[in-house]
Amino acid sequence: MSAFRGVVVASLLAGGFGAGSAVAQQRPFDHAKHAKVFPSCSSCHVGVAVRGAALWPDPATCATCHDGTVQQQVQWRPPAEPARHNLRFDHGTHAAGAANRPATCVACHADAGAPWMTVRQPAPEQCLECHGVRSAHLTAPDTACATCHFPLAQAPRLTARDVAGFPTPADHTQPGFGAGTGHGAAAQRAMPVVARCAVCHARDFCLQCHANASDQAAIQALAPDPRSLGIAVNRAGPASHADPAFLTSHGGLVKRGAQECSTCHTRENCVVCHVGRPGVAAKIPAASGRGAGAVVVRRPPPSHGEGFVERHAAEARANLRTCNGCHVRADCLECHRPDAARAAGYHPAGFLAGHPAAAYGRATSCSNCHNSGTFCTSCHERAGLSAHRVLRPGYHDANQFFLVGHGGAARQSLETCVSCHVERDCLTCHSAVGGRHFDPHGPGFDAARLIKKNPQMCTACHGTTIPTQ
Amino acid sequence: MTLSRVAAFVLCTGVLARPAGGQGFRLRLDTRAQSVSYRGVLLDSILASDTVTGSATGPTTSDGFAVNCAPASAYCSFFRPGALQHGRPVTSTADLLLWGVGAPGLSIHATARLGGSLGSPVDFWPGTDPAAQLLEGYVQYAVEHGTLQMGRQTLTSRLGFLGFDGGELTLRGAGGRLELTGYGGLGLARGSDLPVTSPAVNPLVDFQPTDRQIVAGAAGGWMSSRADLRVTYLREVDPSVDYFVSERFGVDVAVRPMRGWSLSGGADYDMAAGWWGSAEAALGYATKSGRVAGTVGVRRYRPHFDLWTIWGAFAPVPYRAVEGSLSFAPITRLRLRAFGQRYKFDPADASTPLVMYETSGWRFSWGATLTPALHWTIDGGYHSEFGPGAASRGFEGAVGFTPVAYFTLGVQAATLDRPLEYRFDNSSLKVYGLNAEYRASSRYLVQFDASRYVEDRQRPDAGAFDWNQVRLSARVVVVLGGNAGSGLTHLPPAVGRVAGGREQR
Repeated sequence: MSAFRGVVVASLLAGGFGAGSAVAQQRPFDHAKHAKVFPSCSSCHVGVAVRGAALWPDPATCATCHDGTVQQQVQWRPPAEPARHNLRFDHGTHAAGAANRPATCVACHADAGAPWMTVRQPAPEQCLECHGVRSAHLTAPDTACATCHFPLAQAPRLTARDVAGFPTPADHTQPGFGAGTGHGAAAQRAMPVVARCAVCHARDFCLQCHANASDQAAIQALAPDPRSLGIAVNRAGPASHADPAFLTSHGGLVKRGAQECSTCHTRENCVVCHVGRPGVAAKIPAASGRGAGAVVVRRPPPSHGEGFVERHAAEARANLRTCNGCHVRADCLECHRPDAARAAGYHPAGFLAGHPAAAYGRATSCSNCHNSGTFCTSCHERAGLSAHRVLRPGYHDANQFFLVGHGGAARQSLETCVSCHVERDCLTCHSAVGGRHFDPHGPGFDAARLIKKNPQMCTACHGTTIPTQ
Repeated sequence: MTLSRVAAFVLCTGVLARPAGGQGFRLRLDTRAQSVSYRGVLLDSILASDTVTGSATGPTTSDGFAVNCAPASAYCSFFRPGALQHGRPVTSTADLLLWGVGAPGLSIHATARLGGSLGSPVDFWPGTDPAAQLLEGYVQYAVEHGTLQMGRQTLTSRLGFLGFDGGELTLRGAGGRLELTGYGGLGLARGSDLPVTSPAVNPLVDFQPTDRQIVAGAAGGWMSSRADLRVTYLREVDPSVDYFVSERFGVDVAVRPMRGWSLSGGADYDMAAGWWGSAEAALGYATKSGRVAGTVGVRRYRPHFDLWTIWGAFAPVPYRAVEGSLSFAPITRLRLRAFGQRYKFDPADASTPLVMYETSGWRFSWGATLTPALHWTIDGGYHSEFGPGAASRGFEGAVGFTPVAYFTLGVQAATLDRPLEYRFDNSSLKVYGLNAEYRASSRYLVQFDASRYVEDRQRPDAGAFDWNQVRLSARVVVVLGGNAGSGLTHLPPAVGRVAGGREQR
C-alpha cells in the first residue's frame, strides 16, 4: 500500500468512525484535489504500513508546497489523540493481510473503478464480506459482533454522547423485545451474556429498568460503565399495564407472580402509591442493593376527573378498600376534620363570604365535615348572630312577620336554623308545657315510633305527659 | 396565644428537627397560620313607640336602622354593625404512620392537632378549642383475611364520617371480594373529634348529654371488577337512659357495566324516625383519555338529627334534585367544565300568607382551564345559585406560573354578589390576591397567600357597612421518615398533579 493511500485510510478512520476528533474539527483534506500530487497512501500515512510510525503526515510536509509562495499556507495539525471508536481494526494487521492478496487501501476506501484518490469511508458491509458474515451489519449473528467490535467497557475513548449515537438494531424495535422473552432470552443465548449486548451496553444500562439486576447473571456479566446510560431507556410498560382495569387488578397479578413484577419494581415503587399500606408490597423485594426500579408515574383512575372531589362519596361508600389502595385516612381527615387555620380546602378561598347560599340549600351535607356546635354556632355566636336562648325578632328583618310565619322556611333549612338557634329558642313557643303549644310536628312525623326509640326527647316539650299519637 | 406556644409550633414544623433514619415510620407535620378580620352584628332594641316609618324597610330607629317588632311587644329589635374583630388562628397537625413494630401487619396510626389564636383567647377562633385534639390514634393489625383496629378512629360510610373510641374488625373472604365489618365503642360528636360531653360542641350552653353515646354497627360489602355493593347498619345509644340516639341503615351500589361507564347510588333509612333520609344515583361516563367526562343524576337530601335533640320532631323536609356535569377538552391545552342542578323541597305543610319563601332552587357553574404554554395555567369560571334563604353569583379567575417544578406563583380575582332572602343584607364582594408555593424538596413545602377583600354590605338602611380586609395565610409542611418522597399530601406524585387536585386547592 502506498503511503498516500495510507493517509486516505487513516484520515477517513479518524473523521468517520471517530466522532468529534481534532481532524473532524478542521477543514478536511481534499484528497481528490491532490490526486496528481501523491502516488501512494503510505507516503503520507506511514503508520499504516510501518508499525510504530506516525499515521499522520508532519505538517511540515504540507508546507513544502504550501509555503506561501508556491501555494498558500495552510493550517493543519494531526489529531492530538487517536480516533474514538470500538473497532478491533488495526491497519498493520490488515495491511499485512492485504499484501498477500490483491486487495489494497482502495479496496476499502474507494468504490470500484473510482478515480484515484476519490476516497470514502469504508462501509461495515465490506468488513462483513471479508470476514465471511453473510448478513447486514445490524442483523449479524450474536457471535459476529465481537469479530470487529470491542465491548463498550473496553473502548475507553468513547463518550456517553458517542454511545447515544450508536445505531439501533432492527430487532430492538420489534414488538415484545422489551419483555423478558425478548431481550432477556436473547441476552442469555450464550451464558453468561452474549457478546452482542456488550458491544453497546453495560450493567448501568440494564439498571435503568432492572430492579433485580443483582439477581441476573447476564447483567452481572456485563461490566459497570456509566457511559452506557447514554442510551436512555424510555420503554413503555408491559401490555398488561395498559389495561384500564390494571389499576384495580394488579394486586392479583402480584400475588400470582411477584417475581415477574420485581423485574422492574421495588417495594419502594409500590409504596409510592400504597403509602398507607406498605404491607401489600411485602412480596416485592426492597431496593436496597438492587436497581432503582421502574419509575412509577401513576395516573389517577378515570373516575377521578373534574369535580370528583364533590362526588367521591358514592364510590368511597361502596368500596372504600379501593380508595385505601392509594389514600390513607389522613387524606380524608384533611377535609372531613378541617383545619381551623386553613384558608382554603374543599371550599375555595373566600367561601366564607358566600357560604349562606350553599348552607341554606345544602349543596353538600355540611355535617359530614362540620359540627354545628363547634363550627357554625361558635362562629355565629362570636359574630353576634346567635339568639342566646332569648328569642327576639330582628335578624330576619326583610319580613316583619318572619317570626310568626317561619315554619315552612325552618322545615326546609332546619340545619341552618340550628347554626344560630338552640332548642330553648324554639321551646319558647313550641312546647306543650311551658310555651304557646304550637305543634311543630310535620309531615312524616311518627310519634309512636319515636316514643319507642327515645321518649326522653318527647319530654322536652311534653313533660311526663307524652301523647301516644 | 403565648410566645411559648408559637415556639412549640415552630418546633413542630420540624425546622429544628432532623429526618430520622429507617423506613419504619412516616411523620408529616403541617403547620398553618391565617389572619382574618370580620365584623359581626350587635343586637339592640328600641321601644316600639320610638320607631319611625322607613322609606323602604318598614319601621326604623330614628337613626335609620330597620327594626323588627314582635306582635304585641313593646320593644323592637335590630342589629347594629359590630366591632371589627381579628382572628389569627394557628394550627399544627401531626400525622404519624409507624410500621414494622414487632409483627408483620402491625402498624400504628395517629393524627393530632394543636391549635390556638395568636393575640386572642385560645378559643377565639372556631375549631381551636380545645387547643390539643386527637383526630385519630389507633393500632392496626392487618393480614390478608382480616384487619383489626383499636383506638380512636373514624369510620367512612354513607351514614356519615363517624368518629369513635373503640375497636373495628374487618374480615375478608371470597378472594377479597367479600368484606364484613363490625365495630363498637364510645362515639364522638357528629362532624367533630370531640365527644358530645365537651363544652366546645355546645357553645350556647343548651341541653347537653351527660354521657358519650355507645356506638355499634356492622357492614357487609361485595366487591368485584364490575360492581360493588355495601350495606351498613349503625346504632347509637345513650347509656344514661338506654335510649337510642340514632338507628339507621344504608345501602350503596356502584356498577361499572362497560369501560368508561359507571352507575352509583345509595340511600339511607332512619329507623328511629321512620323515614328515608338522603339518597342519590348518578350515571357517569368518561372516555379512556379523559377528554370527555360527564354525569347525570338525581339526589335527595334530608338532614339527620340525633334523638337527644328535639330537631327531628320538627320534621325537616327533604329536597329532590336533578343534576348533571360535563367536562370536555376540545384541544389538549383547554378544558371546559359545566355543572347544573335543579332542586325542589317537599311540601313543608306550614305555609302562611304572612311569609313568602322560596321552595325550590338551582345552581350552576361553568368554567375553563387553559394551558397556553408549558409553565402557565389560566382558569376562569362563573357560578350562580339561587334558592331558599340566599343566593350567590360571581366570577372567579386565576393565573398560575410555574417557572420551575419547585416554585409556583399565582394571582387570583373573584367577584361575588350575595343577596339574602330573609334579611336586608345584600353584599357585593371583590377579591384580589396572590399566592406562592415553594417546594424545597419532596419533604418540605412552604405556601403563602395574601388576598384583599372589598365587600360592600348593601342594606337600604343605616345597617350597611364595609367589610374590607386583607387576609394572609401561610403554611409549612415537613415530612420525616421513610418513604417521605411519596408526597407531601399523602398522594402519589401523579395524583397530586391532577388539575384541580387537592394540592391546588
